[in-house]
Amino acid sequence: MARRANFSISPVWIIGLILLIIAAIEVGYILLRKINNPYRTTTTLNVPAYLENSNSLRGNTYKVIGTIWNSLAWSPTAGRLFSVEIETTDGVSVLPVLIPAQFNYVTIEKGQRFIFQIEVDEKGILKTKDLSKV
Amino acid sequence: MKSITSILIIWLGLINVVSAQVPDAAPASGGAVTPAQSPVSAPANAKSPASDNSFLGKDVPVFNPGTELLAWDGKHWNINNQRIFQSRFEKYLNAPEETAEEDLQYQQLLHDILKKLAPENYTPKNLIDAWRLLPQASNYTIDSHLCDALADAVYSVWSAKRAQDRLIQANEELERQRSIHEWNARMANEQEPLSAPSNQAAGQKNQPQAGNNSKDLRIAPHLQRLAEVNILIKANTLKREVSEVQARIEFQALIVQFFIQRRFQHVIMATRFYRYLFSDGDTSLKVGKDVQELFAKGTGMPPTVGVIDSLANEAIRDVKEGVDAFRFLLSKDELESATKRLAEAFIVGEYMPEIRKLPRDMKRQSLDFTQKSNRLISALDVRDFTLAENLVKEMEAMAKDFDSAQPRAAIETTRTISMMHLAKAKNAAVSGDRVTLENELREATTLWPRNPALAEVSKLIFSQADVQQQAIADLERLLSQHNYRQIFDDKLRFIAATAIYPERREQLKKVLEDMQLVEATIARCTEIAKRGDYAGAWEGAERMSKQFPDDSKLNELRANLTTEAAEFVRSIRTAQQLEQKEQIGSGLAWYLKAQKLYPPSEFAQEGIQRLVQKIIPAS
Repeated sequence: MARRANFSISPVWIIGLILLIIAAIEVGYILLRKINNPYRTTTTLNVPAYLENSNSLRGNTYKVIGTIWNSLAWSPTAGRLFSVEIETTDGVSVLPVLIPAQFNYVTIEKGQRFIFQIEVDEKGILKTKDLSKV
Repeated sequence: MKSITSILIIWLGLINVVSAQVPDAAPASGGAVTPAQSPVSAPANAKSPASDNSFLGKDVPVFNPGTELLAWDGKHWNINNQRIFQSRFEKYLNAPEETAEEDLQYQQLLHDILKKLAPENYTPKNLIDAWRLLPQASNYTIDSHLCDALADAVYSVWSAKRAQDRLIQANEELERQRSIHEWNARMANEQEPLSAPSNQAAGQKNQPQAGNNSKDLRIAPHLQRLAEVNILIKANTLKREVSEVQARIEFQALIVQFFIQRRFQHVIMATRFYRYLFSDGDTSLKVGKDVQELFAKGTGMPPTVGVIDSLANEAIRDVKEGVDAFRFLLSKDELESATKRLAEAFIVGEYMPEIRKLPRDMKRQSLDFTQKSNRLISALDVRDFTLAENLVKEMEAMAKDFDSAQPRAAIETTRTISMMHLAKAKNAAVSGDRVTLENELREATTLWPRNPALAEVSKLIFSQADVQQQAIADLERLLSQHNYRQIFDDKLRFIAATAIYPERREQLKKVLEDMQLVEATIARCTEIAKRGDYAGAWEGAERMSKQFPDDSKLNELRANLTTEAAEFVRSIRTAQQLEQKEQIGSGLAWYLKAQKLYPPSEFAQEGIQRLVQKIIPAS
């Protein structure tokens, strides 16, 4: 009787290969995210603290990611004021975000998701310093 | 009979003089006297009849049986409204009947005296016997020694007559002496002197004169004595006449006195004695002019002893008829008429046996009616119409013939007028017309002082005034406390209280309008909450509470709704607080959150608009 060749892959190798693939995907995702978040060095706005006392955050720059909920006001010189839904650990909050006239070229519509770099201005107004679609 | 009554009323008039009875008001011409016509006080300057120059005043008393009024000297009295009469009559009605042995003996004595003095039985012996019975009759208390007075008067007449007899005898002696002196004087005049013939020649021419002188001297003593005798005769005649007249006058005065005292049995005894004692047929009264006029005007006849005698007999008959009528009417339960007849009989014949013997049980029935009548008159006088009405009912029940028309008319009329004044007073109280209120209350009180409704209405009016004042004070206090809810809850009281105060009425009107708005809001919010829209209901209540922050009911609703829409309310409240702190960004964020929770929120929308305007003013 002919003797059959005995070729088999060890299961250890198979598991190790799977883990390697997962790790590669994770690393790739992280790298992708870092490439897509231009304000990755900016601190995220502490929404509860802002809602509690905006004066304490005045002058600081934060980033927030949110969805355009409504347009509150518009002025050719002052810019546009939007209400933006922001997800926090406590739930969804709606913050007013002022987008100055210099960003008038950006088309902003309800439901669009943006990442804002904002500065807590005088009287606690969140003034956009930069934004980009997510 | 009118004449008898008129004469007898004189007795009342005489009593009046003594008792100063207040006169009744004169009735209106042709009008009947109503029980309500009360006696009025005599004017202070009224002269008493006794002070008038003439006896019994200027007029003769006149009694009107229709009105039962006695008119005398310009004044009027109701004979049934005499305090003296009432008291005497009631005393009589309470007195027991005089049927004791003593009373019967007295009446028997008077009967015997009258029988002996009756014209058909007249003999000098009967006259003496009758006179001897008088002192016996006088021993009885009821006689009041009047029989003694009569016996004394008779004795006085007899004494006077004996004196007259002596004067007659003296005059007879004087007449005899006068005859003697007249004869002596005549003889002396006719007799010639017996001496002095020698001197005839010597003194021819002096003889006639000397003879005359001698005759005169002889006649003079006889003439002088004759004159003296004539004077004595005349004097005695005069004395006799004066004595007779004096005795006659005294006796007539006694008769008149008996008549005025209504002792008619004594009057008849006296007049019979008089006729025997003064048998010359002259029975004309020799009393004073006033008394003569009294009888002459009262009877229309010349005043004589016979007139008095017939009046006394007529009075006795009238009293007997009155008593009979009383008995009959009493048996028919016609107490009013019975009492009137008895009162009339009592006025005339208070001392008559028919009156004195009347049983007390019968009199008591009349007394009960009389007392009620007097109480009715008093009640009407003092205008106690409640008591008067009760008395009228009682009197109607006890006397079939009681005429209640007049007292009822007086009661009802006065009541109606009083109630009308009270109604006006009420209206005045409501309208705040204090002057009219006081006047109408005064009128109502004057007309019917003991009106039960008066006290009730007065209490009501004054309590209303108190309540009104209290309500006004409460309103002012609640307004100052902004406690409009309390005002609204008690609005009826305050509406009534401010009816007469225009300024406060306007204030109340404003409060009530606001509170109606609050009530409407509460109702609306309650309905909204029932649908589950607590945030919307809270917004309505919250908005109204800003206008009326002190309304407890609204606040209670608001508190309940705050619990139900806690997250929304918290968002709005936080937004408002941050807005006040000029934290516009976070404030706007809270408003946005509230709007997200309750999109129709007006508070959120308004807050957003305000803050957006601050961020982008030109928008």
